[in-house]
Amino acid sequence: MCLCLVTMIAAMAAGRLAGQSVERLQVRADSLLREWRRASALADMVDSLKHGRAAGGTDTISVGALRIVATPSPARLREAAARAWPVIDSLYGSEAQQLAQRPYLIAPYDPDTTSPKPMLRGAIQVPWDKDVASLAMLLLTNVPIGRPDRALQNWLGGSVLPIIHPLQARAAVYVQLVTAPSQAARSCFLGVIGDCRNALALSESPDPLQQWYPSTGERRALVFRSFAEYFGYSDHGAHKSGLQQCGAGSDAACTELLRSLPPGALPRPLTYDARAALVQVALRLGGRAAYHRLVATPGEPIADRLAGAAGVSGDSLVSLWRSEILAARPAPVTLPPWGPWAALGWTAVFAVCALRSSRWRAS
Amino acid sequence: MFRVMLYSQWKWCRLIVVLGSVAGFALPLVSVQGAARADSSPLQAGELLQAVQSWGTLYPVLAAALGLLVAIATWAPDHRGRHVHALSLPVPRWRYVLLRFSAGAVLLAAPILALSAGAVLATWSATIPAGLQGYPVALAIRFALAVLLAYAVFFAVSAGTARTAGIILAVIGSVILVQVVASVANVDFDLLGKLQVAVLNWPGPLAIFTGRWMLIDV
Repeated sequence: MCLCLVTMIAAMAAGRLAGQSVERLQVRADSLLREWRRASALADMVDSLKHGRAAGGTDTISVGALRIVATPSPARLREAAARAWPVIDSLYGSEAQQLAQRPYLIAPYDPDTTSPKPMLRGAIQVPWDKDVASLAMLLLTNVPIGRPDRALQNWLGGSVLPIIHPLQARAAVYVQLVTAPSQAARSCFLGVIGDCRNALALSESPDPLQQWYPSTGERRALVFRSFAEYFGYSDHGAHKSGLQQCGAGSDAACTELLRSLPPGALPRPLTYDARAALVQVALRLGGRAAYHRLVATPGEPIADRLAGAAGVSGDSLVSLWRSEILAARPAPVTLPPWGPWAALGWTAVFAVCALRSSRWRAS
Repeated sequence: MFRVMLYSQWKWCRLIVVLGSVAGFALPLVSVQGAARADSSPLQAGELLQAVQSWGTLYPVLAAALGLLVAIATWAPDHRGRHVHALSLPVPRWRYVLLRFSAGAVLLAAPILALSAGAVLATWSATIPAGLQGYPVALAIRFALAVLLAYAVFFAVSAGTARTAGIILAVIGSVILVQVVASVANVDFDLLGKLQVAVLNWPGPLAIFTGRWMLIDV
Protein backbone atom coordinates (compact mmCIF):
# COMPACT_ATOMS: atom_id res chain seq x y z
CA MET A 1 0.00 0.00 0.00
CA CYS A 2 2.73 2.34 0.96
CA LEU A 3 4.73 1.26 -2.06
CA CYS A 4 1.74 1.93 -4.33
CA LEU A 5 1.31 5.42 -2.88
CA VAL A 6 4.95 6.28 -3.34
CA THR A 7 4.85 5.02 -6.93
CA MET A 8 1.71 7.05 -7.67
CA ILE A 9 3.20 10.23 -6.22
CA ALA A 10 6.41 9.74 -8.18
CA ALA A 11 4.46 9.17 -11.41
CA MET A 12 2.36 12.31 -10.87
CA ALA A 13 5.43 14.38 -10.12
CA ALA A 14 7.22 13.13 -13.23
CA GLY A 15 4.16 13.84 -15.39
CA ARG A 16 3.89 17.36 -13.99
CA LEU A 17 7.59 18.02 -14.55
CA ALA A 18 7.38 16.70 -18.10
CA GLY A 19 4.30 18.78 -18.73
CA GLN A 20 6.02 21.91 -17.44
CA SER A 21 9.08 21.31 -19.70
CA VAL A 22 6.97 20.86 -22.84
CA GLU A 23 4.97 23.97 -22.06
CA ARG A 24 8.06 26.04 -21.44
CA LEU A 25 9.62 24.76 -24.60
CA GLN A 26 6.43 25.50 -26.50
CA VAL A 27 6.44 29.06 -25.14
CA ARG A 28 10.06 29.51 -26.07
CA ALA A 29 9.50 28.13 -29.54
CA ASP A 30 6.55 30.42 -30.05
CA SER A 31 8.60 33.35 -28.89
CA LEU A 32 11.40 32.42 -31.22
CA LEU A 33 8.96 32.05 -34.09
CA ARG A 34 7.61 35.51 -33.43
CA GLU A 35 11.08 36.95 -33.33
CA TRP A 36 12.04 35.13 -36.50
CA ARG A 37 8.91 36.36 -38.27
CA ARG A 38 9.62 39.91 -37.13
CA ALA A 39 13.26 39.70 -38.26
CA SER A 40 12.19 38.14 -41.50
CA ALA A 41 9.72 40.93 -42.12
CA LEU A 42 12.40 43.51 -41.41
CA ALA A 43 14.88 41.75 -43.71
CA ASP A 44 12.26 41.56 -46.44
CA MET A 45 11.60 45.26 -46.03
CA VAL A 46 15.31 46.07 -46.21
CA ASP A 47 15.72 43.84 -49.26
CA SER A 48 12.70 45.36 -50.86
CA LEU A 49 13.99 48.87 -50.24
CA LYS A 50 17.43 47.95 -51.51
CA HIS A 51 16.00 46.26 -54.58
CA GLY A 52 13.74 49.19 -55.27
CA ARG A 53 16.61 51.61 -54.95
CA ALA A 54 18.89 49.48 -57.13
CA ALA A 55 16.24 48.99 -59.77
CA GLY A 56 15.56 52.68 -59.85
CA GLY A 57 19.28 53.58 -59.84
CA THR A 58 20.72 51.47 -62.62
CA ASP A 59 20.82 51.68 -66.38
CA THR A 60 20.85 48.67 -68.64
CA ILE A 61 22.89 48.97 -71.82
CA SER A 62 22.34 46.42 -74.57
CA VAL A 63 24.56 45.90 -77.58
CA GLY A 64 23.92 42.61 -79.36
CA ALA A 65 23.53 40.07 -76.60
CA LEU A 66 25.87 42.02 -74.38
CA ARG A 67 24.17 43.55 -71.34
CA ILE A 68 25.65 46.06 -68.94
CA VAL A 69 23.85 46.98 -65.74
CA ALA A 70 25.49 50.14 -64.50
CA THR A 71 24.79 52.92 -62.07
CA PRO A 72 23.96 56.14 -63.92
CA SER A 73 27.06 58.08 -64.95
CA PRO A 74 28.59 59.85 -67.94
CA ALA A 75 30.87 56.83 -68.58
CA ARG A 76 30.94 55.97 -72.27
CA LEU A 77 29.91 52.38 -71.71
CA ARG A 78 27.65 52.10 -74.74
CA GLU A 79 30.45 53.06 -77.13
CA ALA A 80 32.78 50.67 -75.34
CA ALA A 81 30.20 47.91 -75.61
CA ALA A 82 29.76 48.64 -79.31
CA ARG A 83 33.51 48.12 -79.72
CA ALA A 84 33.70 45.04 -77.54
CA TRP A 85 30.67 43.17 -78.81
CA PRO A 86 31.97 42.26 -82.31
CA VAL A 87 35.15 40.86 -80.74
CA ILE A 88 33.21 38.86 -78.17
CA ASP A 89 30.69 37.67 -80.75
CA SER A 90 33.40 36.55 -83.16
CA LEU A 91 35.20 34.62 -80.42
CA TYR A 92 32.33 32.85 -78.67
CA GLY A 93 29.95 32.71 -81.64
CA SER A 94 26.59 31.25 -80.70
CA GLU A 95 27.65 30.91 -77.07
CA ALA A 96 27.91 34.69 -76.83
CA GLN A 97 24.12 34.72 -76.52
CA GLN A 98 24.69 33.58 -72.93
CA LEU A 99 25.61 37.16 -72.16
CA ALA A 100 21.97 38.23 -72.47
CA GLN A 101 21.43 36.35 -69.21
CA ARG A 102 24.79 37.23 -67.64
CA PRO A 103 25.12 40.99 -67.57
CA TYR A 104 28.22 42.95 -66.63
CA LEU A 105 27.69 44.86 -63.40
CA ILE A 106 29.59 48.11 -63.56
CA ALA A 107 29.59 50.94 -61.05
CA PRO A 108 31.36 53.97 -62.53
CA TYR A 109 32.44 56.46 -59.91
CA ASP A 110 33.44 60.09 -59.93
CA PRO A 111 37.24 60.24 -60.07
CA ASP A 112 37.56 63.86 -59.01
CA THR A 113 35.62 63.99 -55.77
CA THR A 114 35.70 62.18 -52.48
CA SER A 115 31.99 61.41 -52.74
CA PRO A 116 31.14 57.83 -51.78
CA LYS A 117 31.40 55.27 -54.53
CA PRO A 118 28.10 53.79 -55.75
CA MET A 119 27.26 50.46 -54.14
CA LEU A 120 26.32 47.68 -56.52
CA ARG A 121 27.18 44.28 -55.14
CA GLY A 122 29.70 42.39 -57.31
CA ALA A 123 30.09 45.34 -59.66
CA ILE A 124 33.29 46.38 -61.39
CA GLN A 125 34.18 49.83 -60.14
CA VAL A 126 35.70 52.12 -62.70
CA PRO A 127 36.22 55.90 -62.89
CA TRP A 128 33.66 57.30 -65.30
CA ASP A 129 36.19 59.43 -67.16
CA LYS A 130 37.99 56.39 -68.59
CA ASP A 131 38.31 56.55 -72.35
CA VAL A 132 36.35 54.25 -74.63
CA ALA A 133 39.35 52.08 -75.50
CA SER A 134 40.09 51.40 -71.83
CA LEU A 135 36.45 50.61 -71.12
CA ALA A 136 36.29 48.29 -74.13
CA MET A 137 39.41 46.56 -72.86
CA LEU A 138 37.78 46.23 -69.45
CA LEU A 139 34.77 44.58 -71.06
CA LEU A 140 36.95 42.24 -73.10
CA THR A 141 39.03 41.11 -70.15
CA ASN A 142 36.00 40.49 -67.91
CA VAL A 143 33.56 38.72 -70.22
CA PRO A 144 30.98 37.17 -67.87
CA ILE A 145 30.57 34.05 -69.97
CA GLY A 146 30.23 30.66 -68.30
CA ARG A 147 33.62 29.24 -67.36
CA PRO A 148 34.72 26.22 -69.36
CA ASP A 149 35.49 22.89 -67.71
CA ARG A 150 38.46 22.48 -65.42
CA ALA A 151 40.45 20.39 -67.91
CA LEU A 152 40.38 23.13 -70.53
CA GLN A 153 41.19 25.81 -67.98
CA ASN A 154 44.07 23.78 -66.57
CA TRP A 155 45.54 23.20 -69.99
CA LEU A 156 45.09 26.78 -71.11
CA GLY A 157 46.13 28.31 -67.81
CA GLY A 158 42.97 30.41 -67.52
CA SER A 159 39.70 31.14 -69.25
CA VAL A 160 39.18 31.57 -72.96
CA LEU A 161 39.23 35.34 -73.39
CA PRO A 162 39.61 37.63 -76.39
CA ILE A 163 43.21 38.54 -77.12
CA ILE A 164 43.42 42.31 -76.85
CA HIS A 165 46.45 42.83 -79.09
CA PRO A 166 46.66 39.70 -81.27
CA LEU A 167 49.61 40.80 -83.36
CA GLN A 168 51.75 41.66 -80.37
CA ALA A 169 50.69 38.46 -78.62
CA ARG A 170 51.74 36.37 -81.62
CA ALA A 171 55.02 38.27 -81.84
CA ALA A 172 55.65 37.44 -78.18
CA VAL A 173 55.01 33.77 -78.93
CA TYR A 174 57.50 33.99 -81.81
CA VAL A 175 60.13 35.23 -79.37
CA GLN A 176 59.22 32.39 -77.01
CA LEU A 177 59.65 29.82 -79.76
CA VAL A 178 63.08 31.21 -80.52
CA THR A 179 64.31 31.74 -76.99
CA ALA A 180 62.53 29.15 -74.82
CA PRO A 181 65.08 26.81 -73.23
CA SER A 182 63.23 23.79 -74.56
CA GLN A 183 64.13 21.52 -77.45
CA ALA A 184 60.43 21.03 -78.15
CA ALA A 185 59.89 24.76 -78.68
CA ARG A 186 62.96 25.09 -80.87
CA SER A 187 62.05 22.06 -82.98
CA CYS A 188 58.58 23.50 -83.35
CA PHE A 189 60.13 26.71 -84.62
CA LEU A 190 62.13 24.65 -87.11
CA GLY A 191 58.98 22.94 -88.37
CA VAL A 192 58.52 19.67 -86.46
CA ILE A 193 54.77 19.66 -85.86
CA GLY A 194 54.97 16.82 -83.34
CA ASP A 195 57.22 18.97 -81.21
CA CYS A 196 54.78 21.86 -81.55
CA ARG A 197 52.19 19.56 -79.98
CA ASN A 198 54.64 18.79 -77.19
CA ALA A 199 55.51 22.43 -76.67
CA LEU A 200 51.83 23.28 -76.53
CA ALA A 201 51.28 20.47 -74.01
CA LEU A 202 48.75 18.86 -76.34
CA SER A 203 50.23 15.37 -76.28
CA GLU A 204 48.81 13.65 -73.26
CA SER A 205 51.80 11.91 -71.77
CA PRO A 206 52.22 10.33 -68.34
CA ASP A 207 55.67 11.86 -68.22
CA PRO A 208 55.54 15.50 -69.29
CA LEU A 209 59.08 16.09 -68.02
CA GLN A 210 60.58 13.85 -70.71
CA GLN A 211 58.24 15.25 -73.29
CA TRP A 212 58.82 18.92 -72.61
CA TYR A 213 62.48 18.79 -71.57
CA PRO A 214 63.98 15.73 -73.24
CA SER A 215 67.66 16.59 -72.93
CA THR A 216 69.94 16.59 -69.91
CA GLY A 217 70.97 20.19 -70.47
CA GLU A 218 67.40 21.39 -70.52
CA ARG A 219 66.57 19.66 -67.26
CA ARG A 220 69.66 21.01 -65.54
CA ALA A 221 68.97 24.49 -66.87
CA LEU A 222 65.38 24.26 -65.68
CA VAL A 223 66.44 23.25 -62.17
CA PHE A 224 68.93 26.07 -61.84
CA ARG A 225 67.01 28.78 -63.65
CA SER A 226 63.59 28.23 -62.15
CA PHE A 227 63.92 26.18 -59.00
CA ALA A 228 67.40 26.67 -57.53
CA GLU A 229 66.07 28.70 -54.62
CA TYR A 230 63.10 26.40 -54.08
CA PHE A 231 65.23 23.27 -53.92
CA GLY A 232 67.89 25.01 -51.88
CA TYR A 233 65.57 26.06 -49.08
CA SER A 234 62.38 23.96 -49.23
CA ASP A 235 61.87 21.20 -46.67
CA HIS A 236 64.68 22.64 -44.52
CA GLY A 237 67.20 22.05 -47.27
CA ALA A 238 66.29 18.39 -47.84
CA HIS A 239 66.95 18.77 -51.58
CA LYS A 240 70.28 20.53 -51.20
CA SER A 241 72.39 17.46 -51.84
CA GLY A 242 70.28 16.61 -54.90
CA LEU A 243 70.77 20.14 -56.13
CA GLN A 244 74.53 19.84 -55.72
CA GLN A 245 74.58 16.52 -57.57
CA CYS A 246 72.46 18.02 -60.34
CA GLY A 247 74.89 20.92 -60.58
CA ALA A 248 77.77 18.45 -60.72
CA GLY A 249 76.23 16.84 -63.81
CA SER A 250 74.01 14.07 -62.48
CA ASP A 251 70.98 13.94 -64.75
CA ALA A 252 69.30 11.43 -62.43
CA ALA A 253 69.48 13.98 -59.61
CA CYS A 254 68.05 16.74 -61.82
CA THR A 255 65.24 14.47 -62.99
CA GLU A 256 64.47 13.37 -59.44
CA LEU A 257 64.32 16.97 -58.27
CA LEU A 258 61.97 17.95 -61.07
CA ARG A 259 59.76 14.93 -60.45
CA SER A 260 59.49 15.93 -56.78
CA LEU A 261 57.75 19.15 -57.74
CA PRO A 262 54.06 19.45 -56.82
CA PRO A 263 51.64 18.51 -59.61
CA GLY A 264 51.29 21.26 -62.15
CA ALA A 265 54.40 23.11 -60.99
CA LEU A 266 56.57 21.96 -63.89
CA PRO A 267 56.65 24.95 -66.25
CA ARG A 268 55.42 24.28 -69.76
CA PRO A 269 57.73 25.22 -72.61
CA LEU A 270 55.32 27.88 -73.88
CA THR A 271 53.12 30.27 -71.95
CA TYR A 272 49.39 31.04 -71.93
CA ASP A 273 49.80 33.34 -74.93
CA ALA A 274 50.86 30.46 -77.16
CA ARG A 275 47.98 28.19 -76.14
CA ALA A 276 45.49 31.07 -76.28
CA ALA A 277 46.65 31.81 -79.83
CA LEU A 278 46.01 28.16 -80.73
CA VAL A 279 42.49 28.34 -79.25
CA GLN A 280 41.81 31.52 -81.21
CA VAL A 281 42.91 29.84 -84.44
CA ALA A 282 40.64 26.86 -83.70
CA LEU A 283 37.67 29.08 -82.91
CA ARG A 284 38.23 31.19 -86.01
CA LEU A 285 38.42 28.12 -88.25
CA GLY A 286 35.41 26.46 -86.67
CA GLY A 287 32.90 29.23 -87.20
CA ARG A 288 30.16 30.37 -84.88
CA ALA A 289 29.57 27.00 -83.26
CA ALA A 290 33.26 26.38 -82.58
CA TYR A 291 33.26 27.54 -78.97
CA HIS A 292 30.15 25.53 -78.25
CA ARG A 293 31.82 22.41 -79.66
CA LEU A 294 34.96 23.14 -77.66
CA VAL A 295 33.20 23.33 -74.31
CA ALA A 296 30.63 20.64 -75.06
CA THR A 297 33.03 17.70 -74.81
CA PRO A 298 34.82 18.10 -71.49
CA GLY A 299 35.88 14.45 -71.23
CA GLU A 300 37.91 14.29 -74.44
CA PRO A 301 41.61 15.07 -74.82
CA ILE A 302 42.30 18.76 -75.42
CA ALA A 303 43.88 18.12 -78.83
CA ASP A 304 40.74 16.33 -80.02
CA ARG A 305 38.50 19.03 -78.61
CA LEU A 306 40.44 21.76 -80.39
CA ALA A 307 40.45 19.79 -83.63
CA GLY A 308 36.70 19.18 -83.26
CA ALA A 309 36.08 22.85 -82.60
CA ALA A 310 38.18 23.89 -85.60
CA GLY A 311 36.77 21.22 -87.87
CA VAL A 312 40.24 20.26 -89.11
CA SER A 313 42.79 17.69 -88.03
CA GLY A 314 44.94 18.40 -85.02
CA ASP A 315 48.12 18.57 -87.08
CA SER A 316 46.58 20.98 -89.57
CA LEU A 317 45.45 23.19 -86.73
CA VAL A 318 48.89 23.21 -85.10
CA SER A 319 50.54 23.76 -88.45
CA LEU A 320 48.33 26.77 -89.15
CA TRP A 321 49.04 28.11 -85.66
CA ARG A 322 52.77 27.77 -86.29
CA SER A 323 52.62 29.55 -89.64
CA GLU A 324 50.64 32.42 -88.08
CA ILE A 325 53.20 32.72 -85.30
CA LEU A 326 56.10 32.73 -87.75
CA ALA A 327 54.32 35.35 -89.84
CA ALA A 328 54.13 37.59 -86.78
CA ARG A 329 57.90 37.83 -86.41
CA PRO A 330 58.54 41.05 -84.52
CA ALA A 331 60.48 43.75 -86.27
CA PRO A 332 64.03 43.93 -84.95
CA VAL A 333 64.97 47.09 -83.15
CA THR A 334 66.22 49.34 -85.89
CA LEU A 335 65.68 52.94 -86.75
CA PRO A 336 62.45 54.16 -88.31
CA PRO A 337 62.83 54.75 -92.06
CA TRP A 338 63.22 58.48 -91.55
CA GLY A 339 65.32 58.05 -88.40
CA PRO A 340 68.70 58.53 -90.11
CA TRP A 341 67.45 61.69 -91.81
CA ALA A 342 66.16 63.04 -88.50
CA ALA A 343 69.53 62.34 -86.86
CA LEU A 344 71.42 63.95 -89.73
CA GLY A 345 69.05 66.91 -89.58
CA TRP A 346 69.72 67.44 -85.88
CA THR A 347 73.45 67.09 -86.54
CA ALA A 348 73.19 69.84 -89.15
CA VAL A 349 71.16 72.02 -86.76
CA PHE A 350 73.81 71.78 -84.04
CA ALA A 351 76.61 72.32 -86.56
CA VAL A 352 74.89 75.51 -87.77
CA CYS A 353 74.57 76.61 -84.14
CA ALA A 354 78.34 76.27 -83.86
CA LEU A 355 78.88 78.24 -87.09
CA ARG A 356 76.76 81.07 -85.76
CA SER A 357 78.40 81.21 -82.35
CA SER A 358 79.16 84.68 -81.02
CA ARG A 359 82.68 83.94 -79.76
CA TRP A 360 84.45 86.09 -82.33
CA ARG A 361 82.05 88.97 -82.35
CA ALA A 362 83.23 92.24 -80.94
CA SER A 363 81.34 93.01 -77.78
CA MET B 1 94.16 74.01 -95.39
CA PHE B 2 91.84 71.16 -94.52
CA ARG B 3 94.74 68.69 -94.53
CA VAL B 4 96.73 70.90 -92.16
CA MET B 5 93.80 71.25 -89.85
CA LEU B 6 93.10 67.51 -90.03
CA TYR B 7 96.69 66.75 -89.14
CA SER B 8 96.70 69.17 -86.21
CA GLN B 9 93.45 67.75 -84.91
CA TRP B 10 94.77 64.23 -85.33
CA LYS B 11 97.70 65.18 -83.09
CA TRP B 12 95.33 66.51 -80.43
CA CYS B 13 92.78 63.69 -80.65
CA ARG B 14 94.80 60.64 -81.58
CA LEU B 15 94.71 59.06 -78.14
CA ILE B 16 90.93 59.43 -77.97
CA VAL B 17 90.49 58.15 -81.51
CA VAL B 18 92.77 55.14 -81.01
CA LEU B 19 91.22 54.16 -77.70
CA GLY B 20 87.73 54.69 -79.12
CA SER B 21 88.58 52.53 -82.12
CA VAL B 22 89.86 49.73 -79.90
CA ALA B 23 86.74 49.94 -77.74
CA GLY B 24 84.49 50.06 -80.79
CA PHE B 25 86.13 47.01 -82.30
CA ALA B 26 86.10 45.05 -79.06
CA LEU B 27 82.57 45.81 -77.89
CA PRO B 28 80.65 43.69 -80.45
CA LEU B 29 83.12 40.82 -80.01
CA VAL B 30 82.79 40.89 -76.24
CA SER B 31 78.99 41.03 -76.43
CA VAL B 32 78.80 37.67 -78.21
CA GLN B 33 81.65 35.93 -76.42
CA GLY B 34 79.35 33.24 -74.96
CA ALA B 35 77.87 32.44 -78.35
CA ALA B 36 81.25 32.22 -79.99
CA ARG B 37 82.37 29.29 -77.85
CA ALA B 38 82.43 25.90 -79.52
CA ASP B 39 80.41 24.30 -76.71
CA SER B 40 77.68 26.92 -76.74
CA SER B 41 74.23 25.39 -76.76
CA PRO B 42 71.60 26.38 -79.28
CA LEU B 43 69.21 26.41 -76.34
CA GLN B 44 70.90 29.53 -74.99
CA ALA B 45 69.18 31.94 -77.32
CA GLY B 46 67.57 33.76 -74.41
CA GLU B 47 70.89 34.20 -72.64
CA LEU B 48 72.55 35.35 -75.84
CA LEU B 49 69.89 38.00 -76.38
CA GLN B 50 70.21 39.12 -72.78
CA ALA B 51 73.98 39.40 -73.05
CA VAL B 52 73.79 41.28 -76.34
CA GLN B 53 71.20 43.65 -74.87
CA SER B 54 73.24 44.25 -71.71
CA TRP B 55 76.40 45.02 -73.64
CA GLY B 56 74.30 47.06 -76.05
CA THR B 57 73.88 49.79 -73.45
CA LEU B 58 77.55 50.63 -73.94
CA TYR B 59 77.19 51.57 -77.64
CA PRO B 60 75.38 54.89 -77.00
CA VAL B 61 77.71 55.56 -74.07
CA LEU B 62 80.74 55.06 -76.30
CA ALA B 63 79.19 57.21 -79.03
CA ALA B 64 78.45 60.04 -76.60
CA ALA B 65 81.89 59.82 -75.00
CA LEU B 66 83.65 59.90 -78.37
CA GLY B 67 81.58 62.87 -79.53
CA LEU B 68 82.22 64.74 -76.30
CA LEU B 69 85.95 64.10 -76.08
CA VAL B 70 86.71 64.80 -79.74
CA ALA B 71 84.62 68.00 -79.65
CA ILE B 72 86.42 69.23 -76.55
CA ALA B 73 89.83 68.27 -77.94
CA THR B 74 89.00 70.04 -81.20
CA TRP B 75 88.39 73.39 -79.53
CA ALA B 76 90.75 73.13 -76.55
CA PRO B 77 93.89 74.57 -78.27
CA ASP B 78 91.85 77.47 -79.69
CA HIS B 79 90.45 78.24 -76.24
CA ARG B 80 93.92 78.05 -74.69
CA GLY B 81 95.35 80.41 -77.33
CA ARG B 82 92.36 82.75 -76.98
CA HIS B 83 91.61 82.19 -80.69
CA VAL B 84 94.54 84.34 -81.79
CA HIS B 85 95.67 81.77 -84.37
CA ALA B 86 92.21 81.45 -85.83
CA LEU B 87 91.76 85.21 -86.01
CA SER B 88 95.11 85.55 -87.79
CA LEU B 89 93.99 83.23 -90.61
CA PRO B 90 92.58 84.83 -93.78
CA VAL B 91 89.31 82.87 -93.62
CA PRO B 92 85.89 83.84 -92.37
CA ARG B 93 84.85 82.35 -89.07
CA TRP B 94 82.10 80.14 -90.52
CA ARG B 95 84.64 78.52 -92.87
CA TYR B 96 87.14 77.99 -90.06
CA VAL B 97 84.45 76.35 -87.89
CA LEU B 98 83.29 74.23 -90.80
CA LEU B 99 86.84 73.01 -91.39
CA ARG B 100 87.26 72.20 -87.71
CA PHE B 101 83.92 70.35 -87.68
CA SER B 102 84.74 68.39 -90.84
CA ALA B 103 88.19 67.44 -89.59
CA GLY B 104 86.73 66.12 -86.33
CA ALA B 105 84.06 64.22 -88.21
CA VAL B 106 86.69 62.61 -90.44
CA LEU B 107 88.69 61.55 -87.39
CA LEU B 108 85.58 59.96 -85.91
CA ALA B 109 85.32 57.73 -88.97
CA ALA B 110 88.06 55.56 -87.48
CA PRO B 111 86.11 54.32 -84.43
CA ILE B 112 82.98 53.96 -86.58
CA LEU B 113 84.85 51.77 -89.05
CA ALA B 114 86.41 49.82 -86.19
CA LEU B 115 83.00 49.14 -84.69
CA SER B 116 81.64 48.10 -88.10
CA ALA B 117 84.51 45.64 -88.53
CA GLY B 118 84.05 44.31 -85.00
CA ALA B 119 80.31 43.89 -85.53
CA VAL B 120 80.76 42.01 -88.78
CA LEU B 121 83.45 39.79 -87.25
CA ALA B 122 81.37 39.11 -84.14
CA THR B 123 78.30 38.15 -86.17
CA TRP B 124 80.38 35.92 -88.39
CA SER B 125 82.18 34.17 -85.56
CA ALA B 126 79.21 33.63 -83.21
CA THR B 127 77.02 30.54 -83.24
CA ILE B 128 73.70 32.25 -83.74
CA PRO B 129 70.73 30.03 -82.88
CA ALA B 130 68.03 29.55 -85.49
CA GLY B 131 65.48 32.32 -85.32
CA LEU B 132 68.03 34.96 -84.39
CA GLN B 133 69.89 37.15 -86.87
CA GLY B 134 72.84 39.49 -86.79
CA TYR B 135 72.41 43.16 -87.67
CA PRO B 136 75.98 44.48 -87.94
CA VAL B 137 75.26 47.02 -90.68
CA ALA B 138 72.22 48.50 -88.92
CA LEU B 139 74.18 48.73 -85.68
CA ALA B 140 77.14 50.38 -87.39
CA ILE B 141 74.92 52.96 -89.14
CA ARG B 142 73.17 53.76 -85.88
CA PHE B 143 76.49 54.10 -84.07
CA ALA B 144 77.82 56.41 -86.80
CA LEU B 145 74.75 58.66 -86.56
CA ALA B 146 74.93 58.72 -82.76
CA VAL B 147 78.65 59.61 -82.80
CA LEU B 148 78.08 62.40 -85.32
CA LEU B 149 75.12 63.80 -83.40
CA ALA B 150 76.96 63.73 -80.07
CA TYR B 151 79.95 65.37 -81.73
CA ALA B 152 77.74 68.09 -83.24
CA VAL B 153 76.03 68.82 -79.92
CA PHE B 154 79.26 69.09 -77.93
CA PHE B 155 81.02 70.89 -80.78
CA ALA B 156 78.29 73.55 -80.71
CA VAL B 157 78.51 73.87 -76.94
CA SER B 158 82.33 74.09 -77.05
CA ALA B 159 82.21 76.65 -79.82
CA GLY B 160 79.95 78.89 -77.80
CA THR B 161 80.92 81.50 -75.25
CA ALA B 162 80.63 81.23 -71.50
CA ARG B 163 77.53 83.40 -71.86
CA THR B 164 75.93 80.83 -74.18
CA ALA B 165 76.75 78.05 -71.76
CA GLY B 166 75.26 80.16 -68.98
CA ILE B 167 72.06 80.68 -70.95
CA ILE B 168 71.76 76.94 -71.60
CA LEU B 169 72.34 76.16 -67.93
CA ALA B 170 69.84 78.86 -66.90
CA VAL B 171 67.18 77.38 -69.17
CA ILE B 172 67.75 73.90 -67.76
CA GLY B 173 67.70 75.27 -64.21
CA SER B 174 64.48 77.19 -64.90
CA VAL B 175 62.75 74.06 -66.16
CA ILE B 176 63.78 72.18 -63.02
CA LEU B 177 62.70 75.08 -60.82
CA VAL B 178 59.29 75.30 -62.50
CA GLN B 179 58.84 71.56 -62.02
CA VAL B 180 59.79 71.76 -58.35
CA VAL B 181 57.45 74.70 -57.74
CA ALA B 182 54.63 72.88 -59.53
CA SER B 183 55.21 69.80 -57.37
CA VAL B 184 55.24 71.86 -54.18
CA ALA B 185 52.04 73.65 -55.22
CA ASN B 186 50.49 70.24 -55.98
CA VAL B 187 49.83 71.30 -59.56
CA ASP B 188 49.49 68.46 -62.04
CA PHE B 189 52.12 69.75 -64.47
CA ASP B 190 54.75 67.30 -65.70
CA LEU B 191 57.09 69.60 -67.61
CA LEU B 192 60.15 67.38 -67.21
CA GLY B 193 58.24 64.33 -68.43
CA LYS B 194 57.01 66.19 -71.50
CA LEU B 195 60.50 67.49 -72.25
CA GLN B 196 61.94 64.03 -71.83
CA VAL B 197 59.43 62.64 -74.32
CA ALA B 198 60.15 65.46 -76.76
CA VAL B 199 63.92 65.02 -76.55
CA LEU B 200 64.27 61.25 -76.28
CA ASN B 201 61.47 60.08 -78.59
CA TRP B 202 61.49 60.31 -82.37
CA PRO B 203 61.93 62.77 -83.96
CA GLY B 204 63.62 64.29 -80.90
CA PRO B 205 67.31 65.18 -81.09
CA LEU B 206 68.53 62.42 -78.77
CA ALA B 207 66.17 59.66 -79.93
CA ILE B 208 69.02 57.95 -81.75
CA PHE B 209 70.59 57.12 -78.38
CA THR B 210 67.51 55.50 -76.87
CA GLY B 211 66.02 52.05 -77.37
CA ARG B 212 67.77 48.71 -77.59
CA TRP B 213 71.08 48.48 -79.41
CA MET B 214 71.07 44.88 -80.60
CA LEU B 215 73.81 43.30 -82.66
CA ILE B 216 71.79 40.08 -82.65
CA ASP B 217 68.01 40.01 -82.47
CA VAL B 218 65.00 38.01 -83.68
